[in-house]
Amino acid sequence: MVNLVRAELRKLLSLPTAWVGLVLGTLVAPVIVLLNAPYTRRAIADGTLTDLSDLGLRDLGIGLIGPMVLGVIVVSSEYTSTARDAPGARQLTATLIAVPHRLRLLGAKTTALVLVVAAQAAVTTAATLALTQLLHGAHAPLPAPARIAAAILYWTLTALLAYAITLITRNGIVPLTLLIINSSVVSVSYLLTKVTDLASYLPDIVGAQMFIRGTDFPVEVPPMTAGLVMTAWIVALLAVGAVLFQRRDA
Amino acid sequence: MITIDRVNKTRSRTRILSDVTFEARPGRVTGFLGPNGAGKTSTLRILLGLDRPQSGTALICGRPYRELDRPLTTVGALLDGSGAHRARTARAHLRWVAASNGLPDSRADEVLEAVGLTGDARKRAGRFSLGMSRRLGLATALLGDPAVLVLDEPVNGLDPAGIRWIRGFLRDSAEQGRTVLLSSHLMGELAEIADDVVVIHKGRVVTHGGLAEVTGAHRTLEDAFFALTATEAGGPW
Repeated sequence: MVNLVRAELRKLLSLPTAWVGLVLGTLVAPVIVLLNAPYTRRAIADGTLTDLSDLGLRDLGIGLIGPMVLGVIVVSSEYTSTARDAPGARQLTATLIAVPHRLRLLGAKTTALVLVVAAQAAVTTAATLALTQLLHGAHAPLPAPARIAAAILYWTLTALLAYAITLITRNGIVPLTLLIINSSVVSVSYLLTKVTDLASYLPDIVGAQMFIRGTDFPVEVPPMTAGLVMTAWIVALLAVGAVLFQRRDA
Repeated sequence: MITIDRVNKTRSRTRILSDVTFEARPGRVTGFLGPNGAGKTSTLRILLGLDRPQSGTALICGRPYRELDRPLTTVGALLDGSGAHRARTARAHLRWVAASNGLPDSRADEVLEAVGLTGDARKRAGRFSLGMSRRLGLATALLGDPAVLVLDEPVNGLDPAGIRWIRGFLRDSAEQGRTVLLSSHLMGELAEIADDVVVIHKGRVVTHGGLAEVTGAHRTLEDAFFALTATEAGGPW
C-alpha cells in the first residue's frame, strides 16, 4: 500500500495542472487578506465591521479552488485521452494494468489526495491567519485551535467532494465548472437556502459551519454536527463512486 | 502461460466474443490474428482485467490478472497509445508506474534506453510522435522484466527500424522462455515472427495451432486466413 500511495503522490505531483491548483489554492487567500487590508482596517475603524471572530478564516473560502482542482484532476487525468490519434487511449489503462485491484487503487488515490490537500490547507491557513494577526491583530483574536483544525478539515473534505463527483462523472470539466461557479460566482447552494431550509444541509453550506461563526446561515448547525453531515455526504458519494469504479469496464 | 477459456462478452447487446478459447505457451511467440473489430483488443482487455467477460476465464500463470500481486513483474502489456498522460514527461510516467509495483527509479532509465528513448526522457508524452508513443508504451511493459508479454498491435506506427527491432526483441524474449502474445491485423508481419497462430473472426476463434499447421496447404498465412474466413456470405468484411 505504501508503494501505491507513493506512486499516486508522484502521479499527482508530476501533473502541471496539479501545481496550478496547489499554488493558486495556497496563495489566493493570503493575497486577498493583503489586498483587503486597507478596506478591512477602515471598516473596523468606522465600526461597520463588528463581528471580527471570523476574520481570516472567512477569507480562506476563495482558496478552495485549489482543493477543488486537485480533487477533480486526480480522477479526470486518468480519463483524458493520451493521444490525438488514439482517442480511446487513456492513462487509466496504464494505471489499472499496474494496479489491477481497484479498491486498493482508490484507497491509494484517496490517501494521496488527502495528504496533499491537508498539507496545502495547513500552509495556507497558517499564512492567512498569520497575515490577519499581523494586519489586524489588535482587533481580531486568533481563532481557537479546534476552529483552525476544522478549516483544514473543510478543505480536505471539499477536495474529496470534488474527487467523488468526478469518480462518478469520469470527466473533469462538468464538476470543476459547477464547483468553481458555485464557490465563487453564484453560490447555487446558498441561493437554495433562501428557498428551503433543507439546502442548509448541502455539503458546502453545512461544512462551512464547522469553523465559521457568522450569522448569515438560515439554519444554525453546531460545528460537530456540521462536520458529521459533510462527512456523511462525502462517504455516500465516495461509496457510489467506488461501486461504479469497481463495476465499470475501464 | 496464458489460458483463455470459453470467454464470452456482450457489449450493448452485441455479442463481441463467443467462447474464445486458446493458449499461449512459454518460449513461443503466439500471434493473435484477425481483421479490425474481430475481438482481438476485447480479448486482451479481458485478459488484463480491464473489462469483465459475461462468462469464461482468462488466466495468466493460472491466475486472473486482478489477483496478481505486483503484476508488472509477471506481465508486460502494451495497449493503444502510450498510457502516459500528455502533460507528463516520459521519465515521470515510468517512475510512477515503477513505484506502484515497488520497482526502483533506475528501471525507468534502463527501459528508456532499451527502447531508444533516452534522449527524450524529459519530453512530455503529448509531444511524442506515434512511433515514440509506442516505444514509451513498450518501455512501460518492460519495467518489471516480466515473463509474459501481451502486446496489442505492437508494430502499429513504428518505423521500419522500430519494426525490425521489435521483431528481434520478441524472438529473443521467446527464446529466453518468455510467453509472448501479440495481436495484429498484419498477416505478413505475424508470419515473420509467430510460432503459433490464433485466428479470430467476428468474435470467434476460427483456428489455432502452429504457423505451418494453420497455413496448411495454402501458399501464405494470408491465403489461409482468407480461405478460413471467406466461407461466410459476404466474405471476411
